[in-house]
Amino acid sequence: MRDEKKFPKVSAIVLCIICVSCFCSEWIMNHDPLYLNLEHIGEAPSREFFFGTDTMGRDVFSMIWYGGRVSLLIGFLSALFSFVIAILYGGISGFSSKWLEHFLMKVLDLVLSIPSILLVLFLQAVMRNHSILSITITIGLTSWFPMAKMIRTDVRQLRKENYVLIAKQTGASFFYLLRVHFLPNVLPSILFMIITNIGSAIASEATLSFLGIGLPIEQVSWGTMLSRGDQALLANEWWLIVIPGFFLIVVILCITAIGNYFREETITKCSNLSYQHKRKIRKTF
Amino acid sequence: MNQWKRYGVKIFLNGVKMIGFLFLLSFLVFFMARMAPGDPLKAYYGERIDRMTMEERQRAIEKLGINEPFIKQYSLWLKGVMKGEVGISYQYKQPVMKVIKGVIGNTMLLAGSAYIFTFLLAFLLAIFCVYYEQSLLDRFLCKVGTIFTCIPSFWLALLFILIFSVNLKWFPSSGAYTAGGERTIKDLFLHLVLPLLVLILEHLWYYAYLLRNRLIEETRKGYVTFALGKGIPRWRVLVFHCARGAMPSYLSLMALSVPHILGGTYIVEKVFSYPGLGTLCFESAKYHDYNLLMMLTIITAFFVLVSSTIAKVLSECIDHRMRRE
Repeated sequence: MRDEKKFPKVSAIVLCIICVSCFCSEWIMNHDPLYLNLEHIGEAPSREFFFGTDTMGRDVFSMIWYGGRVSLLIGFLSALFSFVIAILYGGISGFSSKWLEHFLMKVLDLVLSIPSILLVLFLQAVMRNHSILSITITIGLTSWFPMAKMIRTDVRQLRKENYVLIAKQTGASFFYLLRVHFLPNVLPSILFMIITNIGSAIASEATLSFLGIGLPIEQVSWGTMLSRGDQALLANEWWLIVIPGFFLIVVILCITAIGNYFREETITKCSNLSYQHKRKIRKTF
Repeated sequence: MNQWKRYGVKIFLNGVKMIGFLFLLSFLVFFMARMAPGDPLKAYYGERIDRMTMEERQRAIEKLGINEPFIKQYSLWLKGVMKGEVGISYQYKQPVMKVIKGVIGNTMLLAGSAYIFTFLLAFLLAIFCVYYEQSLLDRFLCKVGTIFTCIPSFWLALLFILIFSVNLKWFPSSGAYTAGGERTIKDLFLHLVLPLLVLILEHLWYYAYLLRNRLIEETRKGYVTFALGKGIPRWRVLVFHCARGAMPSYLSLMALSVPHILGGTYIVEKVFSYPGLGTLCFESAKYHDYNLLMMLTIITAFFVLVSSTIAKVLSECIDHRMRRE
């Protein structure tokens, strides 16, 4: 007995509320998020500072909405960037001759075997100035691999369709085929991956900023707020860790729930249990 | 006899592919490290560089070998690798291999036990979920599991340190042994508990969910009805018949998940300041210590490739249907 998939309304509403609040943060913040209020360092949540203040005196409540902009922006942009790269790579390798496709796929398989955190680490170490753009590029460059595999499989199947052959015959260019024929047919199966990529990009940005190789500390984002976490531990200031983490988890959870709704139940013939092997999904959330 | 020969050939080919890939990776990594901005002299000597005279600077350049063309630097480095000397870590002022050798055991312990425990517990959890399928418990576990997969591992680590180390004072918060104390097994174990717990909780549901779906598929097959009809109890059918059918895909999943778990180990090591490859990685990235970072990348890739090759060959042995044409 399988229940029908219903669109996760609660997740969508919560996500919308958080996104709107972040982008309209000027109306919600009651303090300046960048002002170092040295009289109130490390205060617990109170009536004046709703979520407390951090170790430098900044109001956590205002920082959440102000920094949420940066985190969400990085998430969306990285996912978009990785989608573009995956489409190009998957499209080219799916459409090309056998040896080129074999070679491209072998390269992809081998690169997939390195932990992605190490790749991100290396790229970040090489880039000297850490900014929003450089982090977006780094995260985008390391998260397109599973999507490209999926796209290549689909494009290989679509290649044999009648309309593609006729279009090729009448002189369609590769980009025309990609845009008009491949993209709409491939989109349903990878929509789930794109949406999940947004969530994992937000988590990656937080992880990198926490570990010191992401955004600089002056830049306010959920990750840099958590990077003061180890200092907060010594002073047992729980609000610096729990509150930004709570927002992070809620956003990622909502995005995952929405992504799960778009997850297609396909029965593929490949026997690897990798990202693209989708199973008959039951609604779990 | 023929079968063994075939496996030998396969393993040999995989080995050759692996070595080729490691060479390619080393070249790429070397290229990126040398092209990176930043003066390696400054990285090595720090502030003293401003006070050096021209001759001292020249001698330093020649000692570090920076003035030679790129290909020559790479071939020198390769020759060094063959001999076992990989250069000097700018940050620790010690040979890279010495720095790595000091910590590699710790990482292997943490990553290895995390790997084994995660897959063991995921198996048990999946069996449990499928046995009580669609009951309240199963649905609750699914929801809780989904929430746990969305929690970033470093945050969970911070939370555990906050609760268990700072507030309850049950477990130590960092390192592999107590500083200045004796290196006993009990001490090691105490220090391992929290990182291991974080790692297991982080990855458990991901694999348990995949195995659970696979097992559910298996229970929909015909032989289950036949076995139940013979009078075999439900749990026996599940554990001894269905699980056997799901095993090949589970082993293949284990092969593919080594980089995932290793990456998670690195992050958790850094949060807990556990002296391992992970902490070294992040420090060398932060301080632009390229010699160390290069070697760490190559070693990590080597481990991942070795373990995934072993697992792939094993799974192809066990299930003949998995053999590719």
